[in-house]
Amino acid sequence: MSQYAMVIDLHRCVGCHACALACRAEWNVPVPYHRSWVEDLGPEETSEGLSYTFFPAMCNHCDHPVCVEVCPAEPIEKEFRDPKTGKTIKMAAKATYKNPINGLVLIDKDRCLGCGACVDACPYGARYLDDTLDKPKADKCTFCVERLEHGEVPACVKTCPVDARIFGDITDKDSEVYRLVHKEGAKSLTSKEVNIGPNVYYLGKKKDIELLFKKCAPHKRTWENVKAPSRRDVLVAAIKKIRDKV
Amino acid sequence: MKLNRRQFLESAGIATAALAAWKIPKGVLASPAPAASKVATDLPGSLGAKEVPSVCEMCFWRCPIIGKVKNGRIVKIEGNPKSPTNGHRVCARGNSGIQLIYDPDRLKYPMKRVGARGEGKWARISWKEALDEIAYNMEKTRKKYGPSSLALFDHGASAEFYRQIFKGMGTENYTNEPAFFQCMGAVSLAYVMTYGYKIAERVDMSHSKVMLFFGTHLGENAHLAQVREYVTGLQNGAKLIVVDPRFSAPANKADIWLPIRPGTDTALLLAWINYVIQNDLYDKEFVQMHCKGFNELKEGVKGYSMEWAARICDLKLHDIKKAIDMLAASRPHVAIHSGRHSAWYGRGDVQRHRCLAILTALFGAVAVPGGIYFPTSVDLGESDCVECEAPEDVEEPETSLKDNYPFASYFGSPTAEIIRATRTGKPYPIKLWGIAGVNIIHTISNPYETMDALRKLDFVFSIEILPTESATWADIVLPEANYLERYDKVYVNHDLTPYVTVRQPVVKPLFEAKSPFWIAREMAKRLKLDCFHCKSEEEYLDEELEDIDLSLAKLNKEGGLVRLKGHPYRDPNKPIKFSTDSGKIELFSGSFDDEDMDPIPKFEPILAPPKGYARLVYGRVPTHTFSRTMNNLWLHNECPEPMLWLNKEVAEKMGIKYGDRVVIVNQDGYRSANLVKVKVTPGIRPDTVYLPHGFGSRSPLLTKAYKQGVSDQFLITRYILDPFFGGSSHRTDFVKLIKDGKTLDIPELRPVPPEIPRFEIKKV
Repeated sequence: MSQYAMVIDLHRCVGCHACALACRAEWNVPVPYHRSWVEDLGPEETSEGLSYTFFPAMCNHCDHPVCVEVCPAEPIEKEFRDPKTGKTIKMAAKATYKNPINGLVLIDKDRCLGCGACVDACPYGARYLDDTLDKPKADKCTFCVERLEHGEVPACVKTCPVDARIFGDITDKDSEVYRLVHKEGAKSLTSKEVNIGPNVYYLGKKKDIELLFKKCAPHKRTWENVKAPSRRDVLVAAIKKIRDKV
Repeated sequence: MKLNRRQFLESAGIATAALAAWKIPKGVLASPAPAASKVATDLPGSLGAKEVPSVCEMCFWRCPIIGKVKNGRIVKIEGNPKSPTNGHRVCARGNSGIQLIYDPDRLKYPMKRVGARGEGKWARISWKEALDEIAYNMEKTRKKYGPSSLALFDHGASAEFYRQIFKGMGTENYTNEPAFFQCMGAVSLAYVMTYGYKIAERVDMSHSKVMLFFGTHLGENAHLAQVREYVTGLQNGAKLIVVDPRFSAPANKADIWLPIRPGTDTALLLAWINYVIQNDLYDKEFVQMHCKGFNELKEGVKGYSMEWAARICDLKLHDIKKAIDMLAASRPHVAIHSGRHSAWYGRGDVQRHRCLAILTALFGAVAVPGGIYFPTSVDLGESDCVECEAPEDVEEPETSLKDNYPFASYFGSPTAEIIRATRTGKPYPIKLWGIAGVNIIHTISNPYETMDALRKLDFVFSIEILPTESATWADIVLPEANYLERYDKVYVNHDLTPYVTVRQPVVKPLFEAKSPFWIAREMAKRLKLDCFHCKSEEEYLDEELEDIDLSLAKLNKEGGLVRLKGHPYRDPNKPIKFSTDSGKIELFSGSFDDEDMDPIPKFEPILAPPKGYARLVYGRVPTHTFSRTMNNLWLHNECPEPMLWLNKEVAEKMGIKYGDRVVIVNQDGYRSANLVKVKVTPGIRPDTVYLPHGFGSRSPLLTKAYKQGVSDQFLITRYILDPFFGGSSHRTDFVKLIKDGKTLDIPELRPVPPEIPRFEIKKV
C-alpha cells in the first residue's frame, strides 16, 4: 500500500494563507468552513528565543483514523484499484474510510449520514459538517484526490508562493517526503496522549517546531466520548431540518 | 538633475546608457505554443476549465495569471505557468479575485447622489447622463475657476487613461498619485538621485549572501515575486538582518533582529557608513571607479560613532557591530533592500533611503548577483492612441502647488496641498475632483481633512469597482470593469527575468461596468479632447506591441506572456555611465545641493512620543491589500479584523491581557470608532504599538467590511510634509489605550536620550 503524505516546511512558509484560499477556490468550500487553514503562532518566547511562526493545517490522513472508527454507517464491500499495478483490493468500507491503495481518508458523500460523529472525533478539528446543504454532510481535505487522478498536484501545493508544501508517497524511499521525514526529521503533530499516525509533517527551526507543538499538538482523545447517533436519529433530524426550511 | 515625470517614473527610459534597449530577436517566437489543454466542464473542481491568460490586480505587484472559466463563470485563478516570477502560483488575494468579481456589493450602474455627500445614497442613471454631467461640470468649473481647479486622484493600471483627460483639460493637478505621496515617493527620489534610476525594489535577494531589511516585512507583505526571491535567498544560505521595532515575520527568520527605536534608522545607517569607511570595509575600486563625492561623504559622516548610534537607536553595540560586519564580509553580494512604503516621518525619509543607497554603493553591491540590479530596458512602441496634450493657451497658475517642494514635479501635486487648496482656496481654488481606483479617505494622512475638502467641492466624481468610503462622497459614481473583465496597458516587467504580458478580459464585464479605456474615451469625446485615436483596446495594444515584433494575437499564441533576456548585471571591466548629472553614483548629491538640501545625509531627530503615549505604526497582513480587499468574502473570512500589538511588559503594567478589547485614542483626541483586540507579545518594543492597515471601513455599502475592526488611518491625524516633494508622513502619531472607559497611560520602559526631543501636546 502507498501512503500519500505532505511535508510543510516552516523554514519557507511565510504564513500567507494562499494554500487556504486555493483550496477554497478549487472546491468552492463555503465560508466559514475550512479544509485547509493557517493559524498565526506568536511572537512568543521559547527555549530557543522568540518565535513567530505558522500552523498550516489540514486533514492528516492518519494511519489510524479515529474518524473512520466512529462512523456509524453500515460497512459495505468496495473494490479499490491500484492505477499503477492494476491490482484490486476488496474492503468493507463505511461512509468514511481509509483507501487501502493510497492511504487517503475519504468520505463517500452518498453514504454519509451527516451525523457529525467524525467531526467530533477528529482531534485536529480537520472536519466540518457542511450545514449549507439541505442534508448536511461531513467534509474535509482529500489531498485533492480528484486532481491526483488527473495527474495534478493538490491545489494548495500548486499555489504555495514559496514551495513550502512537499507532497508524495511516503512509502516510496526515493520520494522527497520520505527523505524529509526520515533524513531531515520532519515531525507529525502528535503527543503522548494522541498519536494516531498523522501523515502531515512539519519541518522548521527548533524554536518554531517547539511553539507549534506547544500550541497545536492535540492532547484530548476526542474520539473516546463520541457517541454516534443511530441512523434513525439522523434521518429524523434531517427531515426536521427540511421541514423547518419549508 | 532634469528629468520629466515620465522619464522619472519609467525606469526603462532612464536606464544606464550602457544598457541597450531590448528588442525581440528574429526567431525567438519560434518556440512551440503551449498545447491547448482540453476543455471539459464536467470534471471536478477547476479541472477541464477554459484558460485565459491575464494579469492580477488584487495588489499592484501584477502577477501574470490564468483565469479558469467554466460555463461563463470564473471558477479559479492560478499563476500563468509561463511567468518566470510566479509560475503557477498566486497568493491568498490572487486566489480570491473571484470574490471581487462576484461581490454582490459591487457598483453595478452609473449613479447620481441623492443623499448627503458621504451617505452613499444614489439613484441609478444612464451612462449617457452620467458622462454628460461629468463633462458639463468639468467644463463649467474650468471656465469659472481656471483649469487647475480640477484635480484627479488615481491609482492602478487603469489610471493613465483618466490622467490623460485631466492633462488635456490643462490642470496642473493631473498626476497626484497617493501611491507616491503616501507611499513610495521618498525611496524613488533617493535612488534616482543616487543612481539615476528608480530602484523599484530591484534587489537580487535570491543570489545574495546577506539581506538587510529596514521595516520591510515580506511575507506579511505578500508581493509574490519578491517573497519568492527572499525565501529562495534564505534557502540558498543567505543570512538575514531585520531592523524593525516589531518582531515581524521576517524577523523570525533572521539571524539578527535589531528592534530599533522608531525614527532613528538614519542614525544607525550613518554610523554604519562611517564605520565601513573608517575600517576600510568598503569596495575601494568600485567607489573610485563609479562614485562621486566619497571625500565629502567621509567628512560628513565622521561624527557618527557606533556607540552614539547604539544609544540613540536603543540597540546593543555588539549587535549593530555584528550586523555591519556580517554585511561587509559578504560584499558585494549583499541585498540591502530599498524598501517601498517610505512615507514614515515626513522629514528625513528621503535621507534614510539615501543612506541605504549609499551603503549599497560602498559595498559595490550594484548590478552584481545579490545586490541591487539594473532594470532591463524594453522599447515599446509609442502608440499615440492615448495621448492628450494640455491646450496651448492654458496659463500656468501663478503659484503652483509644487512651489515649495523642489522635487514634487516628478510626482505631481502633493495630495496634502490639493486638500489644503480645496479647503482654503489658497493659493488658488480647487472645486472639482475625480477619484479613480483609490480610496483616498483610507489612504491619505488625516482623513478628517480629506472629508472636509470633499464637503467643500462643487463637484466630485468617482470611478470605482466597489462603493468604498471615498466613493460614497461622489456626486456621480461610475462602475468600472475590474481586472478580470478588461484590457489595460501592455505590462512589461523589467526585473531579473523580464517579460511582456497583457491584462485581458477573462470574462465579460458584469452589469453595466465599463472598461477604463471606454470611459476615458467617452469623456474625451464630450470634452472635445483629441486624444483617443484607436477604435478599440485591441488596436491600441497592437500598436504598443508592434515595435517589439509582437501583437495581441502573437502574445496569446505564446500563452499570454513572452519572456525576454535580462541584463541586470554589469561587466566589471566596462565603464558605466549612470543617468545622474555626473554620470556617476552620487554619494554627494549635486541636485540636492543645488536646492539647498543636504547633499550628504544628516541625522535629524524625529520627535519622540509624549509621556504616557506610544508611537502608532502599521503594516500589512498577507490576506489584504490596502483598504480594498476587506469586503472580499473569502479574505474577510480569513482576516476580518486586525489585532493591536502591545508589548508584554507594558501590558502587564497596564493590566491588559491577551484578547482584551480596548479603544485607541491619539494625541489629538481622535478615538478608534470601535474596540480592538490586543495581541500581547514580547515581539514589539515598549514604546510602539502596531496595527495592520486598512480595516474599519466607514462605508455602509460594504456589507462585510463596514465597521469591522479598527482603522489605523483615522488615527493618523498629525502629519509632516516631506520638504523634498510634499509627501505626507504616517508614523508621527501617538496613542493611549482606553480600557473599560478608563484612559490608560503607556508606561515608558525605554528612556528617551536627551538628543531626541519629545512631541508636546498643546494644552487647550
